[in-house]
Amino acid sequence: MLLAISLDEDVEAARACAREESPVPLTYPVLVDRDHAWAERYGVINVPTTIWVDEDDRIVRPPAIAPGDDKFIEFVGFSAEPHHQALRAWVRDGVAPMADTEVRARRAAPDARLQEARAERRLAMHLLRAGAADLGHAHLDRALALAPDDWTIQRGSLPVRGKDPFGQDFFDFYQRWEAAGRPGYEG
Amino acid sequence: MTTFTTVTVVADGTVHAVGGAVRDDAVWLRSESVPTVTGWSLKPEGLCRDDVCIPRAALGADAIAGTGADETIELRALARALQRAVAVEPVAALAVVADAPADLAGSIVEGRAPAFTLPDLDGTPVALADFAGRKKLLFAWSSW
Repeated sequence: MLLAISLDEDVEAARACAREESPVPLTYPVLVDRDHAWAERYGVINVPTTIWVDEDDRIVRPPAIAPGDDKFIEFVGFSAEPHHQALRAWVRDGVAPMADTEVRARRAAPDARLQEARAERRLAMHLLRAGAADLGHAHLDRALALAPDDWTIQRGSLPVRGKDPFGQDFFDFYQRWEAAGRPGYEG
Repeated sequence: MTTFTTVTVVADGTVHAVGGAVRDDAVWLRSESVPTVTGWSLKPEGLCRDDVCIPRAALGADAIAGTGADETIELRALARALQRAVAVEPVAALAVVADAPADLAGSIVEGRAPAFTLPDLDGTPVALADFAGRKKLLFAWSSW
């Protein structure tokens, strides 16, 4: 069962995107995590990310970047195909993608600074939704300063800051993140 | 007699409107509001949950004000004691408490997928538990 979970603040943007990607009605649920509460609990720090959960609700593959194709391979740095093959083997034949010990090793608890950034971001979004723009942007700025390498916070905030998530501000972030050694990126 | 106002605290995915106060550029909770927001209770021996208590002295000198029904606790000090990150906006009497890293670590050690319920695009709630007994591929995406 596929569950697609959008991290968009703007539900209409998510709806438009889901419609654009698929001309026929989708056969799987498309959910919305505006507060990033789900993303934080699962350790998702970028999109597209997949997490594999088995029949007994055990995580058999922790959050990992998983592009649908190789359109952005230059940026991503690896092909989508091994992930697809592993996914087919797991779904059809029950082949575990990695050992239990590796699943655990990959899932470190977030550090205190990142948790603080997430709290500031969530507070900012509640303020912005209530129309308190100045207060909201002040807290969003704090979140951005606390988590300079977190894609979900950095890139995910561009739309509410009136900036283009595919424009110069994104490329500036991308270059800074790459210069820092691509922190937090696990394929 | 202390005058209380309603303060809003977002914690564990829930928006709690509870009794408290805004003083000295900080948000304070009435002691009776503490269990609603955190699951812990402020008792004479300290901040307690089940048989664990954090002594009052460990909360900091200025963390608690007033006594009896007038007793309040400052939210940053409360969050610090519980090792949870917090963001506070006194002007809006609004605060967000992040998940406890210890709770996150607990689900990680057990390797369980944390339960969740999220709305779909039409607002209908969908839960992980709706797909019990099946393999699930959780796919995080966005328009950005």
